[in-house]
Amino acid sequence: MGAALVLRYLLRKSLGWLLMIVVATNLTYFVANFFLDPRANYLQLRPPRTPEQISRSLAQYNLSRDTPLLDRWWHWVSGIVLHWDWGYSPVGESVNSQISFRIGVSAQLVMGSLILSTLIGISLAVYTAARQYRFADRFAQGVSIVTLNTPVVVASLAVVLLAIAFNQSVGSTVLFVAGAQSPTVSGFWPLLLDRVRHLILPTISLTVISYAGTHLLQRSLLLDNINSDYVRLARAKGLTRQRAIRRHALRTSLIPVAITVAFAIPALFTGAVITETIFAWQGMGQYFVQTISKNDVHGAVAVAAFGALMTAIGAILADIAVVALDPRVRVS
Amino acid sequence: MTRSETGPATGPLLSVRNLAVSFPSEAGRVDAVRGVDFDLFPGRTLAIVGESGSGKSVTAMAVMGLLPEYASVTGSITLSSRQLLGLDDRQMSQVRGRNLGMIFQDPLSSLTPIFSVGQQIVEALEIHQNMDHDVAWKRAVELLDLVGIPHAAERARSFPHEFSGGMRQRVVIAIAMANDPQIIIADEPTTALDVTVQAQILDVLRLSQTETGAALIMITHDLGVVAGIADEVLVMYAGRPVERAPVDDLFTRPLMPYTIGLLGAVPRVDVAQRRPLVPIQGNPPLLVDLPPGCPFQPRCPVSVPRCGDREPDLAVVPDAVGGHSVACIRAHEIRYDGRNSCIDGRPVYPVPPVPDVPGARVPREQRPAVLQLTGVSKTFPLLKGAILKRRVGSVYAVSNVDLDIREGETLGLVGESGCGKTSTLLEIMNLRPPQHGSIRIAGVDVAQLRGRDTERQLRRKLQMVFQDPMGALDPRMTVFDILAEPLQAVGEADRAAIAARVDELMDLVGLNPEHSDRFPTAFSGGQRQRIAIARALATNPSLVVLDEPVSALDVSIQAGVINLLNELKAKLGLSYLFVAHDLSVVRHISDRVAVMYLGRIVEIGAVDEVFGGPQHPYTQALLSAIPVPDPMVERTRERIVLRGELPSPTDAGPGCRFVSRCPLYLTLDVAQQARCTGETPELTGRGDRDQQNACHFR
Repeated sequence: MGAALVLRYLLRKSLGWLLMIVVATNLTYFVANFFLDPRANYLQLRPPRTPEQISRSLAQYNLSRDTPLLDRWWHWVSGIVLHWDWGYSPVGESVNSQISFRIGVSAQLVMGSLILSTLIGISLAVYTAARQYRFADRFAQGVSIVTLNTPVVVASLAVVLLAIAFNQSVGSTVLFVAGAQSPTVSGFWPLLLDRVRHLILPTISLTVISYAGTHLLQRSLLLDNINSDYVRLARAKGLTRQRAIRRHALRTSLIPVAITVAFAIPALFTGAVITETIFAWQGMGQYFVQTISKNDVHGAVAVAAFGALMTAIGAILADIAVVALDPRVRVS
Repeated sequence: MTRSETGPATGPLLSVRNLAVSFPSEAGRVDAVRGVDFDLFPGRTLAIVGESGSGKSVTAMAVMGLLPEYASVTGSITLSSRQLLGLDDRQMSQVRGRNLGMIFQDPLSSLTPIFSVGQQIVEALEIHQNMDHDVAWKRAVELLDLVGIPHAAERARSFPHEFSGGMRQRVVIAIAMANDPQIIIADEPTTALDVTVQAQILDVLRLSQTETGAALIMITHDLGVVAGIADEVLVMYAGRPVERAPVDDLFTRPLMPYTIGLLGAVPRVDVAQRRPLVPIQGNPPLLVDLPPGCPFQPRCPVSVPRCGDREPDLAVVPDAVGGHSVACIRAHEIRYDGRNSCIDGRPVYPVPPVPDVPGARVPREQRPAVLQLTGVSKTFPLLKGAILKRRVGSVYAVSNVDLDIREGETLGLVGESGCGKTSTLLEIMNLRPPQHGSIRIAGVDVAQLRGRDTERQLRRKLQMVFQDPMGALDPRMTVFDILAEPLQAVGEADRAAIAARVDELMDLVGLNPEHSDRFPTAFSGGQRQRIAIARALATNPSLVVLDEPVSALDVSIQAGVINLLNELKAKLGLSYLFVAHDLSVVRHISDRVAVMYLGRIVEIGAVDEVFGGPQHPYTQALLSAIPVPDPMVERTRERIVLRGELPSPTDAGPGCRFVSRCPLYLTLDVAQQARCTGETPELTGRGDRDQQNACHFR
C-alpha cells in the first residue's frame, strides 16, 4: 500500500464523515428550534415587551417564530454555505466570533492533558502489568481507582488548594488559579510563559481524573497478551521478559486503547465544563451549557456541528492509528 | 534418522537431576514435578510421555526457564556442565534461542499476529548473532525454504494469519532452529494438527534435527509419535518419571503397570481387533498433599498393600540391556507372554468381555436405515462489498453426499479439518430440507416435517454428543437438571418418572446416581463426557451423532469412554454417526467408515475392508500418515506423505478434487490425467465387497 492509497482512503473517509456532519447539524437545527424558544429571553425584561416587539427583535437574527421554520432554515443554511456565517444569539452576539475564540482556549486546555494522561496511563500499564499482583501493581491500581472515582470538582479544588499553598510558600504567584492568560503581558516569550503558568493547574486536574481509565484498560489488555503463546515464543527466542512484553504484547494491545483515546477527543472538548468553570476558562464546554440555558439556537447548533467534526477527526485518527499499529490492516 | 552412534560415550549435553517444581494454589502447594532425572545426549531424541497434569510440559518449561516467577524450582539443570537453574531472566535469555530452541503446541497462537513471519525469524537471528539486517533476512528466507514453505522469498513478507496451521508450525520450527541450537524442545508440536500435516511436521522436525545436529526433547501424549521418533522414552505420572527405557524396550517389554495400561488403552489403526480396549480405572491424583506410597496405587490392578508404604524410586532393571529403569516394586514379577504383560500368569489388566450386539446377527441389508442421505449438498456464498454484498463465489462445503446408517451400526466419518464433516453433521442436525438432495431420519423425510410436534418427535430420535464436555454442559445446572431437561423438553412432566429415569441414566453410563445433585465442575473430563452421553440417551434416541467425543480426553480415560459407547450400542441397539480425526479410534469403534475430501465422499465401506485395503489414493495417504504405537512397524513402514494442504473448496468445475495433491495422478499418462481433471469420479466398487471409492483408476 502506497502513500497515494492512504490519501485516497482518507479522502473517501473524510467525505463520508462530512456527509454525516451535515446531516447531524441540520437535524440538530430542527431539534433545537423545537426545544429552545428564544422568546423566553425577552420575557423577563422590564418593561415587558409585546409579542410583536419580541418577534421584531428576533427577526433580525433569523429567530422569529413568525417566519416559517423552513424559511429560517434556508436562510441559516445559505448563510453558512455562502458566507460561513453561523448566525447570531438571541441578543445579537456572533456565533462565529465566540466559537473561533473558544476553540483555541479549549484546545490548549484539553490537548496537554490528553497527551499526558495517555502517556502516563500506558507507561503505568506496562510497568504494572509486568508486575501483576505485586505491591507496585496493587498500589498503582488502588490510586487509579481512587482518581477514577474522584469528582472533577474535588480534584480541581484540591489542585487549587495545593497550588495556593505552594504559591504562599514560595512567596509569589507562580501558578495562576484562574483564567487562561493575564491581560497585561506582551511579547512572545513572556506570553508563552504566562500561558503555561495558567495552563499547569487545569491540565494537572484533568490529567489526574482521566489517566486512570487508560491505565486500567491498557493494563487489562496487556495482561491478556502477556501470558499469550506468542509472548512465550518471543521469550523462547531469547528476548528478556520486559523486551518481549514491550515488543510483542504492547503493540498488539495498543490498538483498542488508541481507538478509545481517539474517540474520547470530542467528549473532552465539550465535556470539560466543570474544569472550565472552576479555573474560569472561556472554553467550548462552558459555551455549550450557556447556549442551551440561554435558548441560543444558533450557538447550540454550532456546538453540535463542532462536536460532530471532532467525532469525525477522532474516528479518522483512530483509523490512522490502527493502520499504523497493525500492518495486517490493508487500506481498501 | 538420527539414531547416531554418538551415544553415552561423549557425555550428556543436558543433565536434569532431582528437578522439582511447585506452584502455590488456593488448594495448597501443587507439586507439579517431583524429582525428575534424565540425561540427554547430542543428536538423540528423548520422548517424555504422560497424560495431562503429569508434569511433562512443566519439566520442559523449567529447562527453558519460562515458568512463572511464583513457581518454585529446585534441583539441577546443567547444559554442557553449566548450571541453568538460578540464572536470572537476562542471563537465561542468552541461552534461550541460542542453545535451546522451543516449539509449542498451538501454532495458531504461537506467532505474533502483527509481524510478518520473516520479521519474526529475523528477530530470533538478530538477538543472538551480530548480523546485518539484509543477511538476516536472507537467512530467514533460507530457513523458511528449508522447512518446506513454497515461494519462501515472497511468503516471508506474509503475516501469520495468511498461513495455515501446519505452515505456521513450520515457521515456529524455523525460528527454533534459527541459531543452530544444541537442543530443540518440542511440546506437543503436532497435537493441534491433522494427521497428514502431522506426518509432514514430524518429517520437518527430523530434518531440523539433522540440519542442526541438535538433540530433541519430544513431549507428547501420542504413543504412535513416540514410536516413530524417539530413541529413549521417559514415562511420567503424577509429576514423576515412572519408567525410562530405550524405545524398543518400552514398547515390547513395558514393566510399569501404568505404561502397560497406556499401551493397552490405545486403539491401533493397523490391527483389525474387535476386543475391547483396556481402560485404566480412576483418574490421576491431584498433586496437592499426595499421600505416601506409589501415586498410581489407587488405579493399579496389581497393587499390593506394600505399595502404599513409600513411593518407589526409579531403579535400573537388573537383567535389562540398555538402561531400562522403572519405579515399581513388582516390576520384576512382570513377564511378557507374547500377547499380554502378565503377573503370576495372569494379564496385568484383565481384558473386559466383548459386548454382544444382537442386531449384528441380522444381515445389514435387512435392517432398517436410521439415517439416509441422498445427494445432499451445502454451499455457502462468498460475499464481498461493504453495504451491498455481492456474491463472488461459493464454498462447496458438502457436495452430493450419499450415505446410510442401519440400525445398530456405527458409521465413522473421517477426513482432515475443513473437509466438510461438520457441515454434514449440521445439515443432519438441522432437521430442515437440505439445499439439494434429501435427508431421511428413522424413515421420515425431513422435508415432510410439518409443525413443531412432529419435529420434536423426530428430535427425540436424533441426539448429539460434542467434543468438549465442559463447553457442552451448563456449569450452573446440576447433573440432575442437565439430564432432566431433555425429558421435560419432550413433554415428560411426572417428577417421579424423571427422577427414576435420571438415576437409570447415571447408572447406565457408569456414574453413581447419588452424585446427580453435583455440578459438572465436580466431575473429571471423562466423567463429564459420560454425563454428556447420558444426556444424549435421555430421550431413547435411535441415532446418536458423536462429534469428536474422545479427542479432548487422555488416552487412559478415552479407552473407558470408547468401551462405554460400544456397550451402550450393544445394550440399547443404538446407531452412531461417529466423527473423529483419530483414525485408530474410528477403526476400533466403527462398522463402516466414510472418508471425506473437500465435501465429497471419496471412499466408503466396511471398516476392515477400507482400513485393510484402502483403494482411493487419498485414503491410502491418510492411513499411512497415522503413526502406529510400535517402533518396529514405524521403522519399516512406507509412508505416503501428501504434499501441500487442503485447498479451499471453491471450485465447482468437474473433475476429481484430489487432483492437486494426488500421488497417483502424477504417474498417469496425459489421456488418463485429462479424465481426472475433466470428469467427476463416481463412487464405484466391486459387488462382492462393501467398499466403494471415487477414483477413475482404482
